[in-house]
Amino acid sequence: MHGYEIADSIQRISEDVLQVEEGSLYPALQRMLIKGWVKAKWGVTAGNRRARYYQLTTLGRKQLAVEVSQFERVMRAIARVVQTA
Amino acid sequence: MTFFSELGRRLLMLVRRHQFDRELEEEMRLHQELREQEHLGAGMSAEEAHYTARRHFGNATLTQERSRDMWGWSWLENAMQDVRYGLRQLRRSPGFTAVAVLTLALGIGANTAIFTLIDAVMLRSLPVANPGQLYRLGDNNNCCVMIGTQNGGSFVLYSYPLYEHLRDDTTDFSEVAAFQPFLSDLSVRRSGVASAAEPYKGEFVSGNYFTMFGVGAITGRALSSSDDKSGAPPAAVMSYHTWQTHFGGDPSVIGATFTINTVPYTVVGVTPPGFYGDTLRSDPPDFWLPLAADPDRWLFSAEPEWLYLIGRLRPGVAPERVQAQLTGELQQWLGSRPEVIPERDRGDIAKQHIHLTPAPSGVDQMQTDYAAALRLLVTIAALVLLIACANIANLLLARGAADRSASALRLALGAPRARLIRQKLTETILLAVAGGAAGLYVAYAGTRTILLLAFRGAHYIPISPKPSLPVLGFAFFLALVTGVVFGAAPAWIGSRADPADALRGAGRSTGDRTSVVQKPLIILQVAFSIVLLIGAGLVTQSLRNLEYQHFGFVTEGRLIVNIAPSLAGYTPDKLDGLYQRLEEALPRILRVLSASLSWYSPLGGNNANEGVYIHGKPPDYRWTAPSWDRVGPHYFETIGTRLLRGRAIEERDTPAAQRIAVINETFARRFFPKEDPIGQHLGMGDASHSGDYEIVGIVEDAKYQDTRGPAYATFFLPLLQTPPGEPLRGWVGAIELYVAGKPEDLEPFVRKTVAGIDPNLTILRVQSFAEQVNLNFNQDRLIARLTELFGLLALILACVGLYGVTAYAVERRTNEIGIRMALGAGRRNVLGLVLGSALTQLGLGLAIGIPAALAGGRLLAGQLYGVKSYDPMILGLAASILAGCAVLAASVPARRATKVDPMVALRQE
Repeated sequence: MHGYEIADSIQRISEDVLQVEEGSLYPALQRMLIKGWVKAKWGVTAGNRRARYYQLTTLGRKQLAVEVSQFERVMRAIARVVQTA
Repeated sequence: MTFFSELGRRLLMLVRRHQFDRELEEEMRLHQELREQEHLGAGMSAEEAHYTARRHFGNATLTQERSRDMWGWSWLENAMQDVRYGLRQLRRSPGFTAVAVLTLALGIGANTAIFTLIDAVMLRSLPVANPGQLYRLGDNNNCCVMIGTQNGGSFVLYSYPLYEHLRDDTTDFSEVAAFQPFLSDLSVRRSGVASAAEPYKGEFVSGNYFTMFGVGAITGRALSSSDDKSGAPPAAVMSYHTWQTHFGGDPSVIGATFTINTVPYTVVGVTPPGFYGDTLRSDPPDFWLPLAADPDRWLFSAEPEWLYLIGRLRPGVAPERVQAQLTGELQQWLGSRPEVIPERDRGDIAKQHIHLTPAPSGVDQMQTDYAAALRLLVTIAALVLLIACANIANLLLARGAADRSASALRLALGAPRARLIRQKLTETILLAVAGGAAGLYVAYAGTRTILLLAFRGAHYIPISPKPSLPVLGFAFFLALVTGVVFGAAPAWIGSRADPADALRGAGRSTGDRTSVVQKPLIILQVAFSIVLLIGAGLVTQSLRNLEYQHFGFVTEGRLIVNIAPSLAGYTPDKLDGLYQRLEEALPRILRVLSASLSWYSPLGGNNANEGVYIHGKPPDYRWTAPSWDRVGPHYFETIGTRLLRGRAIEERDTPAAQRIAVINETFARRFFPKEDPIGQHLGMGDASHSGDYEIVGIVEDAKYQDTRGPAYATFFLPLLQTPPGEPLRGWVGAIELYVAGKPEDLEPFVRKTVAGIDPNLTILRVQSFAEQVNLNFNQDRLIARLTELFGLLALILACVGLYGVTAYAVERRTNEIGIRMALGAGRRNVLGLVLGSALTQLGLGLAIGIPAALAGGRLLAGQLYGVKSYDPMILGLAASILAGCAVLAASVPARRATKVDPMVALRQE
């Protein structure tokens, strides 16, 4: 997906709850490129425009799993706290 | 692994920066356009859609910058940006840049020059293998021949048998070498070549000298122990410098026979370039010869102690243990040799010891001689650098204030203050680095000048003025430190511009933060300058006193020729004929008014002293032995020493005539305080000789050895009247000529005359008497010239600084001055306003500087001759010069202030 598509899909899937600011999207994409979690390739969109397409790498998938498990730990912790309240 | 691929990606981005920027911009533009399309699709108008998308996107520039920052090269890019900007700014004000770079070049260059010398003289080791292993047997540089016990019990000079004993018995040294402490004059003539003998310098060394140093020949071979045995064919090693300069690097020199002091030597090798022997000195040895080869050397006698020793300690050996062992061996040896230590001194044997000192630089004669001078020079150079830096700081402050609105604008646009400071600091560092690079030229020129001043009269100095790697590093480091330290404050002050200043006009206020820092800097500059000026005045006056003192002889119109008959093979019986022929031929040279011969001439570096016994008086051991000289007829009139009573030495004082002596005033006062010396008798050796010479004349005191202290008690004996049994230790060493006109012009005629008498007679040196005397003041002259130069520099810098600060103040206050004049202030009031502040700074500077100069002068007092360190005339002169120049410097902008048209000033922003 290219940058706009990423922002758009996050917005759609989260039903407009999560809206990614472009100001944070592109720096984040760059950081992921540096770390080798994504790789980028120039391609053509449906509307015949040049766009850069990002794809998760193997390293990226591993990192994703790490981040997701960390996120889930935090969520479980919050859920427990809220339950007891 | 991932680290390296990440690093690789980062580096790749650095290379493809522009492509990266373009791609990111394109990517973000697409994003924004798609958003716009989305809004259009949702029903907004084209304009609304565009602007909503734009707004939603946010600050595109900031996003781009943040994305780029992720890659981690922003510090480098910012630095490059700062450098480019700084260079542009500097190019826009060429006057400021030129003055700043020049000032820094002078300051950094001067310090680098001094550091070059310190590096070469004090820090460098001998260019030999593993200098850290070298140790000297002895801790001082007493010279040149001693007998029996030595000063303070510390042995530094050794007889040859003692050397052999220590060398063979101490296994902790891999080698111990012996060499003479001073260089010998050599008369050298290449066999088969028709030209006359040339004078060179040589050093007699033990066979293992080069092995001990670990130095091999670059062509041929070095001396070895087999060359140092009596009966071995004499071998010599030539120095690289001599080989190149005097023999053109001719390879046929190796293996050629040279007649050195009438003995044929074979030159067996050439030392590597850069090797100058065991002592850093001007005119290092041209030849190294084995001790055994010269028949004059006292090889077998245990009495004369005349060799220095240096040894290479084996690795892992403790010097203290070896020192104790050596001392024990020394005392044992002395105890078993009654001919060395007479009965009455045997009690002193226990006090004799050998102090083993590390000697990575060999014999540290030059270090000792010049340590004080170098320290002084370092201090002065540092002061000049500080003054230069104060000037730079002031210039930067003025510039920062002028730039204030630009800085305010930048701050208002969101630049972080730190970034602003960093940018200004970069500019300063650029200036400093440029100053440092230019300073290297100044350093090279400065070092060459210092070497020429300090070693006037030398042919070759083994110190290179070219900057070496440590020197380059020093210059760069100094430049960097200077830039940072003296740029930091102005940068910080300049960045404190209030953004609101950008919106309103500046300059209507009278207060000014910048001047708060500028004024103390000027005060300090004035203080430093007066210290240097007073110092310069003191040492210059001291030098003049030294040079123009009453020596007891006259140097004008006199020529001194140094010869060495012994080197040409003369023996005592042939000397008479030589003296006669010289005394006949020399006065016949055109323009020679009178000529004479002597063992040595005043202040030529030689001295002989010997205890005397006065007939009819008990031996007087209170005084140090008087000096004495053997002189020929017409000596005193030729060198211009007045005869006070009686007669001088004349032609009638032949070997057959009565033996006579002439004494000087100090001798007469000391030994004959109450009676008439004429007619009394004196002698040398022991009391039985006290009737040998009859005193027939008294001459005025003259300084022969020491330029500062009073003349030594001296007596003069005729050249030819040597009593039988007295060894002829000296030979004619000097010819003195009193000429009409310039003495140096006669040199070719003198050479021709001497060559006509004997072409083999080597002339060691020809120079005017004035030059010979002046060479004694090399170090004083060096310090005086340099202090004068630095003082002048400081004066110029302080005045330029004061001018700059006053001009800046006038500019800042143009408005205020306009208002005052409009309100009725006259020209005089304005002048007073501007000058008043300048004069206050000057006054405070003098108030701080003069006491500092007096305190510093106390340290200098020991070196001054004939002038007190608080000499009021010099103080007053220095202060008036500084005050005069300062007032002149400040009055230029002050007068400009009085010409301000109130209307123009009020309108000025």
